[in-house]
Amino acid sequence: MTIEMFEKPLGMRDDFPLIAKQKADLKKQGTQLIERAGYELLQTPTLEYYETIGKISAISDDALFKLLDSQGKTLVLRPDMTSPIARVAASKLLREKMPIRLGYYSNVFRAQKREGGRPAEFEQMGVELIGDDSLYADAEVISLAWDILKELGVGSARIVIGHTRLLELILADFGLDAEQSGKVRELFVAKNGVGVEQLAKELPIAEGKLASFLKLMQATTVADWKHWINEENEEQRELYRDMERLEGLLGRNGLGDAITFDISFSSHMTYYTGLVFEFYGVGSGFPLGSGGRYDGLMEQFGLQVGATGFGLRVDRLLESVTAEKAEQPHTLILFDEQSEQHAFDEAQQIRNAGNRVTLQYAPAVKALESFTALFTEVIRGEELRNG
Amino acid sequence: MDELTIAMPKGRIFEEAYELLVGAGYDLPKELDDSRKLIVEAPNEKFRFILAKPMDVPTYVEHGVADIGIAGKDVLLEHDRDVHELLDLGISECYIATAGLPDTEMDEVTPRIATKYPAVASHYYRSKGEQVEIIELNGSIELAPLIGLSDRIVDIVSTGRTLKDNGLVEYEKIADITSRLIANPVSYRLKQQRITELVDKLREQVGR
Repeated sequence: MTIEMFEKPLGMRDDFPLIAKQKADLKKQGTQLIERAGYELLQTPTLEYYETIGKISAISDDALFKLLDSQGKTLVLRPDMTSPIARVAASKLLREKMPIRLGYYSNVFRAQKREGGRPAEFEQMGVELIGDDSLYADAEVISLAWDILKELGVGSARIVIGHTRLLELILADFGLDAEQSGKVRELFVAKNGVGVEQLAKELPIAEGKLASFLKLMQATTVADWKHWINEENEEQRELYRDMERLEGLLGRNGLGDAITFDISFSSHMTYYTGLVFEFYGVGSGFPLGSGGRYDGLMEQFGLQVGATGFGLRVDRLLESVTAEKAEQPHTLILFDEQSEQHAFDEAQQIRNAGNRVTLQYAPAVKALESFTALFTEVIRGEELRNG
Repeated sequence: MDELTIAMPKGRIFEEAYELLVGAGYDLPKELDDSRKLIVEAPNEKFRFILAKPMDVPTYVEHGVADIGIAGKDVLLEHDRDVHELLDLGISECYIATAGLPDTEMDEVTPRIATKYPAVASHYYRSKGEQVEIIELNGSIELAPLIGLSDRIVDIVSTGRTLKDNGLVEYEKIADITSRLIANPVSYRLKQQRITELVDKLREQVGR
């Protein structure tokens, strides 16, 4: 099939001026909050090695854009930001500065095989807090993400929080081995209630505990979780206490009503080892972003430190942001040979005052009426000349 | 109360699902399906129904233009959409199976399979360690082995009547199929209370 001149690869989009403007505003607002919270912004390369970032990123292989460098090594267009930042943080330069706070606003690439409606290149904005394994670090990143959602005006935003390790321990208490609990978690990720019920029949769960097992997907508060906590298991007790403290910390930051604590909530991103969370809002049918604790990922770069962070999808935030912005004044000055100097002076004056002006040679405009309609004010050269 | 948008397949599944909802105590208008309208409202319950092709229901739900939907497991298996499968409604029971002419072996070099479910068929034969060639058809799949287009077909069987009338026999069963209640992951979180309530009420009905 020949490619028509106007076509773009599947999932690639042009940002027309209006969208580009919205994104620029969103970037400004978001990164400002990130910087104010003490995070430093950074950029990483667009191309990475398949062997390192490609594999560590936990993005499925067929979603990676791959290409070869001149030595025949396989490269990928970066599919996420967390793993490149983990690599940077593990570098010598930054090791001494732990804990470090890094933020980013970058485009990432994920190939789409199905139909349209999903971009293959999109911006992500987020932070990584590396070298702090305390609960305060988790509370800090969740609250920061929340502040960004609020500042952008996302309607009825919600956060769902789960805990990978605690879920693992609880599933083990039901008598499941690693493979079985892996299967259960896969179904939990997809919230496949029917699948869980069917699988439960094949699992070695004691008769009396079946109802309790099936209820795992219904918990919404930390208090609900208590039902599954084995008080004799020290790790479970500790982690549960942590969750109670986290609930308190987040409540104090004003997030209380917006959080669902779902013990069955899991991520398909395998590097999350502890807390995991996801953000939702009205207007987008897909989650706005996600995050969690990924101490295991840092280990792959040879570093035994705690790390936590989140990433928000800019394309979905745009669908969710409802607040209408007031239209900015935009003046058009139409000049001709006689009024050229007056027009130029006037434009400088308006621009110096901080306003927006388009300077246009009038005879070059073919459809005057539709062109002038784009502006809030139109000044003609002869008006300027006549004072 | 939030409005819930529900994507429903037209036809027989719709009628059975309608009965379930009414049985669960929902106050729905009497005649929902017999107009040519694609969107119908049930204002008393703040429901809005989207009447769609069965194959398209998971698509509407995945993109979030419908909060929940009712879809056959066959469609869910075939399309692997990102939706939550909340409840087995136990309606429209049938299964997916392979079938062909009686006492025939599949071609050893290039076995050919005709089906409306290319992904299901391909996954099934791959899991058996057999490489097959899939031929996608849109209907009357039973024709394919009769006129020499394929060795086997992979299709829905409910009574087995169509196979029998055309002199075909069933070989292997692939999966049991019923209709499922599915939800968009975001709607599930933002309207969790309403959706869980609906699931609980329907579960009681299904259990009967």
